[in-house]
Amino acid sequence: MNSIHDDDIDALLRQSFDGPIADDGFCDRVMQQLSRRRRPSAWPLAAGVLVGAAMCSLSLFTSPLWRAAWHGWLVGEWSNSSIIMLSIMAGMSLLALAWTLAEADDH
Amino acid sequence: MADSAAEARIDQILVARALLGDDRRAFEQLVRRNQGMVRAQLRRLLQSDEAAADDLAQETFLLAWRKLGQFRNEARFSTWLHRIAYGCFLQACRTKSWAARRAQDDEMEHLPTPVQAMDLRLDLARAMRHLSTAEQTVLLHCAQLGLSHEEAAYVLAMPLGTVKTHATRGKAKLKTWLAAWHDAAGEERIP
Repeated sequence: MNSIHDDDIDALLRQSFDGPIADDGFCDRVMQQLSRRRRPSAWPLAAGVLVGAAMCSLSLFTSPLWRAAWHGWLVGEWSNSSIIMLSIMAGMSLLALAWTLAEADDH
Repeated sequence: MADSAAEARIDQILVARALLGDDRRAFEQLVRRNQGMVRAQLRRLLQSDEAAADDLAQETFLLAWRKLGQFRNEARFSTWLHRIAYGCFLQACRTKSWAARRAQDDEMEHLPTPVQAMDLRLDLARAMRHLSTAEQTVLLHCAQLGLSHEEAAYVLAMPLGTVKTHATRGKAKLKTWLAAWHDAAGEERIP
């Protein structure tokens, strides 16, 4: 018996496929049904940022580290606390920037 | 391959335009460029029920329009559309009678010996119908729609290994069933 190769079967399957269907008005019918796409509103993101910032401030308000850093900034001194707080804020900003850039790249 | 990459890039640009300015003309171009293959996929899945296939194709593109913001370029746009179309097909199977019809297609051991080589295409179609549903579906996407195994796994939401297994088993069965054609062709060539 002669053997049939996978390539033969692939070729047969390709030959038996009629290919793409002609449009025949299909596209126009779809476009007539198309509704206006709702744009995602920006308020949930803005509200989330505000609520997050408020919660963060509330939780830090009683922290001695925050008080020491705040005091340092007021008197214009670079204390350890102010440097730590500044580094944390810079780190968070960089993370947010990287996330934004990654999202923008995806689109 | 280069053509395919260029086509994918054009689709990508049209998607970006459709998203940025809510550009319906860009989306129209995407529909025009991809409707042929999506409708062919659904016609095969629905065993040539053209009206039902076109209804599902329309549903596919309307869904794609609504979900366009969720397209992340993790696959080609056409592959993403095939995935949505297959999802619509599965959803429809849950409520309609196609699933029952497909379930009747039990596997068979042998096909009748062919008489004339010109009927090969018909016998291939018959043989395809006697493969299991999963084997038919995988061979449709890989061998006929031209998707890679990875793309077929994405469209069908199947593990890559399962896709490869179904493809191999399906081809092996077709080879067995169609061997008589090959022998007949060989005998004709030998004087």
